[in-house]
Amino acid sequence: MTGIQIAEALERTPLAVAIAKSIWLFPLIETLHVLGLILVVGSVAILDVRLLGLGNIHRPLNDLMRSVLPWTWSSFVVAAICGALLFSSKASTYYVNVPFRVKFVCLGLAAANMIAFHSRSHDLPNFGPTPMRARIAGAISLLLWLAIVSTGRWIGFTT
Amino acid sequence: MVERFCDWLSNTRISQLFSGADWFVPAVQTVHILAMSIVVTLLAILNFRILRTKITGPAPDTLAANYVPVIWIFLMVLFITGALLTITEPARELLSKVFRVKMLLVIALIASTALLRATLHRDSHLRINSARRRIMGRALAITILVLCVAIVAAGRLIAYA
Repeated sequence: MTGIQIAEALERTPLAVAIAKSIWLFPLIETLHVLGLILVVGSVAILDVRLLGLGNIHRPLNDLMRSVLPWTWSSFVVAAICGALLFSSKASTYYVNVPFRVKFVCLGLAAANMIAFHSRSHDLPNFGPTPMRARIAGAISLLLWLAIVSTGRWIGFTT
Repeated sequence: MVERFCDWLSNTRISQLFSGADWFVPAVQTVHILAMSIVVTLLAILNFRILRTKITGPAPDTLAANYVPVIWIFLMVLFITGALLTITEPARELLSKVFRVKMLLVIALIASTALLRATLHRDSHLRINSARRRIMGRALAITILVLCVAIVAAGRLIAYA
């Protein structure tokens, strides 16, 4: 089975058909997707700005991570579930859409950057400026999430 | 009257310049969403901190002193990008009932946030002086959270109205 065939099969599932046919389901799920994405991007940006030394510099890094990361992960779950539901309703259209593919590549890179950062975050100083590797991780993360929001917006103008 | 204003605005050189560039609306919307991310996330963290009974992390007034100035800056970014989008597509925004509701919600959010900041300035934990102030603080926090969700929803629904 090719990718486009899987997308077409997904599009024919009862849930996908219901979302595509309903007047209010797509806007409702899209609103929840945007709300989730907004909280993911906002919480990631707060931490990245601290890593770059541009804000929250007097707040201990551990304390900030403890208060921000639950927001990131719970919002990401909401955004991902809603995103999957939106995808299923027009799967074959999104599958061939270039901004959609770029968005997914950026999401993969953002996840890899986050995993790489957190695997070595235990030895970061709790106070004061962060080392260069943490600053680079913060800058890459900010750029990738900017790209994710930007390509997400472009999907709406190219489908 | 509003229709005539929309006609006039859409025929101005600046509106035609913006609407003629395919990249302009998605680019400005991206900045608008990024600014919205900062405002909504900071308000969510601050107001959930007020609603939480367990005392951990910075006090609400410390959070408010750090976050509210940043929120005002990004609200300005939202205002500027929103104005640019309105100049580009005046009829889509100004003639939409959902857009008008969104603007009322934004005004209510600004007023509620200013009131919360002033209340926290007087009583850092919203509990020292009286139960009445504590209830008011919590009511304000819930109002702000509901307003944030309603504004995001209205912003998305403009496209469908």
